[in-house]
Amino acid sequence: MDEYPAGSLDHSVPFLLTLGTSGDITYQSGLSAVLKEQAILIRSELPPLDSDQAHALLRYIQDRDASNLPCNGRDAPKKHRFRVRTAERSILLPPRRARLPDGIDMPSPTAVLHSPYSPLSPISPLYPDGLIDTQWIRKHQDLIPSVLLCFYTLVSDPTLATLNDNKVKTDVNNIRGLLSQSGYKTRLAVVLLSDKISPSGDHVQDRLESLRRGCGIDAKSLFLVPPGDSKEELERMAENMLTTLYTASLEYYRDLGRHSRKKRGRGVAPQPTVPPTSGTSQTLSLAGWNVRYDFKSAIFAEYRQEMDVALRSYEQAYENLLSSELMEVIPSWSPRWNEARFLADVLAVRCLRCLLWNSQHSAAARRWQFHRERIADFLDRRGRGTGNYGWEAWESRWALIMANLIEKASIPDFAPATHKLYLQPEKSVMGERLQPWEFLHHTGYWYRLSAKHMQARRDFAHAIPEDDRRSPSMSPASFVAKSAFAYDTYMCPDPFEEYPLHQGGVDHGRFVVDRLMKARSEFLKREQVRLAAEVSLECARELGLAEEWSGIVKLLRPLWKDLPFRSEGWATIAELLSWNLRAAAVELDDAELVLTIDWELLNQTFQKRPNWEYDITKSLDDIDTESKPIVSIADGQVLPFISATFLFREEEGKAGQNVRTQLAIKSNAHQGSAPVSLSSLYLNFTGCLDRIVIQHEGGAAVQEKKGNTSIYAVQLMSDDAEAEFTDLGATSKSVILRGDADLTLSPGQTLVFNLDIPLREPGETEAQSLVVNLDTEEFDLHHELKFHQTPKTNFWYLSGSTTKRIVRPNPLAIKVLPRPPKLEVKCPVWKDQYYTDETINLEFELTNGEDIEALAKLDATLFGENPPAFTVDIEGHDSQTSSSVRSEESKLIGAPLGTIGSSKTLSIQLGIPPVDRSSQYDLTLKVTYFLPSNPGTPITQTAAFQLNIVNPFEANYDLLPRIHPDPWPSLFDADGVRSAAPDDDVPLAFKGLSQSWCLLTRYASFASEPLRVVDIDVVLSCLPSVRCHAIKHNNLPASGEGRLVEPKTIEEAAFELKAQKASLDERGPSPLDVSLVIKWSRPESSSGQVNSTRLPVPRFNLFGTEPRVLAKVEHVFVMERVVVVLTVFIENASNHLLTFGLTMEPSEDFAFSGAKETSLSLLPVQRRGVEYRLVPFDEEEEGRWVGVGLVVRDKYYQKLLRVVPGGEGVRGTKEGGLEVWVPGGRQREGDGGEEKEG
Amino acid sequence: MATTLPSIACLGVIGRNNNPLHISIFNSYDPSTTSFRPIRTPLQFSLLLSSTLDVFELRSRAHAATGTGLTGDFGLLHAVDERLAAYGFETNTGVKFVVVVDMRGRRASTTSGVVGEAEGKRSNAAGGGTTAGVGLREGEMRVVFKAMQAAYIRLMQNPFYDPDEHSPVSGPGKKITSRRFGEDMRRIGEGWVPGVASL
Repeated sequence: MDEYPAGSLDHSVPFLLTLGTSGDITYQSGLSAVLKEQAILIRSELPPLDSDQAHALLRYIQDRDASNLPCNGRDAPKKHRFRVRTAERSILLPPRRARLPDGIDMPSPTAVLHSPYSPLSPISPLYPDGLIDTQWIRKHQDLIPSVLLCFYTLVSDPTLATLNDNKVKTDVNNIRGLLSQSGYKTRLAVVLLSDKISPSGDHVQDRLESLRRGCGIDAKSLFLVPPGDSKEELERMAENMLTTLYTASLEYYRDLGRHSRKKRGRGVAPQPTVPPTSGTSQTLSLAGWNVRYDFKSAIFAEYRQEMDVALRSYEQAYENLLSSELMEVIPSWSPRWNEARFLADVLAVRCLRCLLWNSQHSAAARRWQFHRERIADFLDRRGRGTGNYGWEAWESRWALIMANLIEKASIPDFAPATHKLYLQPEKSVMGERLQPWEFLHHTGYWYRLSAKHMQARRDFAHAIPEDDRRSPSMSPASFVAKSAFAYDTYMCPDPFEEYPLHQGGVDHGRFVVDRLMKARSEFLKREQVRLAAEVSLECARELGLAEEWSGIVKLLRPLWKDLPFRSEGWATIAELLSWNLRAAAVELDDAELVLTIDWELLNQTFQKRPNWEYDITKSLDDIDTESKPIVSIADGQVLPFISATFLFREEEGKAGQNVRTQLAIKSNAHQGSAPVSLSSLYLNFTGCLDRIVIQHEGGAAVQEKKGNTSIYAVQLMSDDAEAEFTDLGATSKSVILRGDADLTLSPGQTLVFNLDIPLREPGETEAQSLVVNLDTEEFDLHHELKFHQTPKTNFWYLSGSTTKRIVRPNPLAIKVLPRPPKLEVKCPVWKDQYYTDETINLEFELTNGEDIEALAKLDATLFGENPPAFTVDIEGHDSQTSSSVRSEESKLIGAPLGTIGSSKTLSIQLGIPPVDRSSQYDLTLKVTYFLPSNPGTPITQTAAFQLNIVNPFEANYDLLPRIHPDPWPSLFDADGVRSAAPDDDVPLAFKGLSQSWCLLTRYASFASEPLRVVDIDVVLSCLPSVRCHAIKHNNLPASGEGRLVEPKTIEEAAFELKAQKASLDERGPSPLDVSLVIKWSRPESSSGQVNSTRLPVPRFNLFGTEPRVLAKVEHVFVMERVVVVLTVFIENASNHLLTFGLTMEPSEDFAFSGAKETSLSLLPVQRRGVEYRLVPFDEEEEGRWVGVGLVVRDKYYQKLLRVVPGGEGVRGTKEGGLEVWVPGGRQREGDGGEEKEG
Repeated sequence: MATTLPSIACLGVIGRNNNPLHISIFNSYDPSTTSFRPIRTPLQFSLLLSSTLDVFELRSRAHAATGTGLTGDFGLLHAVDERLAAYGFETNTGVKFVVVVDMRGRRASTTSGVVGEAEGKRSNAAGGGTTAGVGLREGEMRVVFKAMQAAYIRLMQNPFYDPDEHSPVSGPGKKITSRRFGEDMRRIGEGWVPGVASL
């Protein structure tokens, strides 16, 4: 807006002029010299007020100056808006009627003189056919106040009061007289400041009344400031005063507006005082006058803040101005042409302001565009067209004006915090087809637009031919004449000033940068960082043209460093930034920046610049450096042309072992760029791996090279020397592994390094970064590349052309397990089963597989149900016995094993005492040992064994009754029966009943292997009153070395039991406990250790008082025929006389002799036998069982007694019957005697 | 009378990580030479598309705060000047479509102005005799986005197209190289005129 004449575009605010006290800014009338001499002087005769109160009041009024307030209607609740100026003593008002200039006579005495600002007055620059100019606007804004506020003192001293009041009256009347003489209707107001405490209210009222009447002003224009009031009181009073004055002021402008409308309503064009004699002698047409009147009405409406009215009048003036009657008829060479254009601009700007005032934002944007189109169209048709620098200058200005207007309107929706980029259209245009630009955008966009047109202006300016760029004083007159009309110089310099041939001229670049920077700050305020970057780039281009290199670096470096163009893949933008920045950096000798940029630009992602030598070593050729630059590039700072991948071959490794790894670096540099010869690579790990350094060695042998891929097997040496590489922030580790390889990297080449890295400590380790170092004579460059997890890069180079995908989720990491124990615990002879009742001796061997001797300890634990205490025998140490901490655990802790030499073996004996029932135990041997090389780290080897202890044998038993061969003792034999009285000295003499039994056992081995059974015996235990002994019958060899019993085969052993009661009186049942004892040994046991397994036999009952019937047979051969002698014994152990009936039923199978039916009486304690002889009827080859129908009945109880087999050859049937064995003929031939079969 | 009509100057597809996936540039009518050529260089279009990301970010934040913008249609992102304006759409997977409209990219006489009649009235009302182009209604771009999304979905349906390759979890990915997608974009960009119902 600055380019327009001062005041032409300013918002019109009612003008208040104070008189009578001095402010900070002194009043300048600003009248031109011609008018000054005709001006009306209004002067106050009284001395100016100099009291503090007067100053305070004045300052308050000045502070309320509204000329710079935001131009919008929202703040309308303000009670007043004034533009305040201060004059101390006198003011100058422009003359109401301009005198005719010297040399021009009044044409007639009746001729009317006009205002000096009117095209009717010859002294006006508008004379005779101009429209209106800034002078008129300024007249009202700066020269003629709407309210003249005079400051006077109200003297309270009664002696001086009247005198002073009269002076004031005189002065005010004087001023009023001068004002009315001038013809202006400026409102006069008086403010009185009391100098002391007012004596009494009534008195003051009277004085005021007298003053008011004496001055001839109304009550609303006289104000009294009471003395000594507080600041708040003063402000309140001033506020009231201003509000009252504002009403008067609006009235003043309303009168003026009414006057203008009245003049327009006359409908005739007034005639100038003197008819024009020069030029075309043309006077302003009626249409022109209408524009003038409309414009005036609009301005006065604006003063009154009636923006709708103002807008209508402005629009009317605008349309009329651009109508066919006005601008269309002004010739383009005339100065009036540009004046009209200027007026159109002013009208358009004021229209825009009205629209913005009313929050019609889209209408404003449209109005802006409309004016532009209109003028462009007009210029194309009538003027010098739009293809020239003048037009672009105007366009640039027009955009800038809009930016200024929007700023001035201070639209709340455009506050940066709202982050709004444009405003939604107001309701009236909503739903219409809107141009996107008609959504009012924030000022950044407008500034940028202005800058763009400024650039276009420069382009046009630079296209001006040289002839036109010469100063007119140096050009032939014909050229001057020609070029005078060829260029549009509306508000811009002539071509020879715009772009002079030699130097100087308009500094377009500065304007562009200025506007772009403003735009940039607006964009940044609203977080439009990318757009701000774009603007910065444009700005940098301008700065580049102006060679302001440091400005470029300052502007672009943060963008280049921080903005995500690179990471988001906008390579072209990043590239543009880089090249711009590099150009500036070269000029500034910023070696670090140049190197970093060159390093990045090697990347093929960027477009290759033609005719550019891509060689990083030559980057600094044009740069002077004081010291050798060292550049450290962090990961992600640039888009590296080297990509690095790293893989662990295995997911897990163990400390002390080596792990295979592969490092691959690939160059993605431009084809044709110089190969980069890296000095070294640092491979860094997190966790517990050492740093690895691969150094360049030109002649290093390539393992394999195929195409663009070279594979190196790098031998790593550990290097204890503390290296100088700590500058890259790597932790200073004591051990660095070094290797050599050829690190020359040509474009497109891949270098693969196979590394065997020794793992030292357990833990998680991850490859973190690779530092690529390029050290040359001119500079050192370090670039850190972090390894990233991308499944696409997990390729292991098997050879130059084949790769294998490593499918682990994270091949960058390895889990290092603790150093594996190399001390082995073995049990050379371990059996699946151990048996109860044997002493288990386990032998373990500890073999030290470490390279050096180990100091070891042993922990042994036996875990299970009630584990036995065990003993451990260690060579060279005392045997130790375990202790039982808990019932299920038996433990031996920390048994020293001493030092086991390398690859030596120590044997341990572990003895477990016999266990009497089958069970399972877990045996854990934990050997903890230390190596002298690392005495702090215990190494643990654990071996676990499961000990199965099972019963080797199982058996079942039958106890069969037998007939005792001895006769029963007789009750009548007193000696034989009566036993001696119990006496300690004499052993008990057993004279009771005897019984004979046969214990038949069948046992089987449940072992997993054959066992040698050495002996089988029974252990009898019975009451002391019974004596019992057994005679064993088994099939074991008599030599005592036993017999191998295969697993799962059933063996038999029989025992003949004889039992006798001590006394005949005691015949009740008595229990017998029998245990079967099997003595056995393992067949391979050389020591001949015999274990005895004792199997408990269920308890038997012997004796009893119940009668018992036993049967036995004998086979007798009589005359080639077999005779079965069946003897039935009935035993009566009771105290009763019993009678039994015996019945032998005849059978078809045999004939028999003996009582078929008989009865048998038994005395108490008596046994009697009955014999039958049976003769089978038919002889057969095979022996057979023949049923015998023998029934024994207790006659008294009528109870059948079961006949129990009492020996071989008789058996009972299930139905309770009896069968006897009849041997066949064959057997008889073989044996020929008595036979026993079972 | 309007002598020019809006046309599409550029179509951009931007990935989840703000990475450019596809950029198609179209010719605009240049009245000074009466020829057709792109109004900006590819680099300038790149900058322009990139600048829309600012707007996407601002809007997404505003949408998140107010819980609006569920359709993904961001409407007008911003107008860079009186000619070029950018419209945006974001799919729910974060892929952004940007349409850069040249408000004077097409000669009115070459096309049957779909909206020419109504537009003429408006220009006349605004003062007549100007070369101001046809405006755009709210949601006028929806048809373009719909077509772009359809094309993008077709691309996604191609089993050889791996979206993760193009928008990896971090960092930029590949660009779209599908010839068919490019043809689709070309068809959409060249076929659109204001008021067209489907593409």
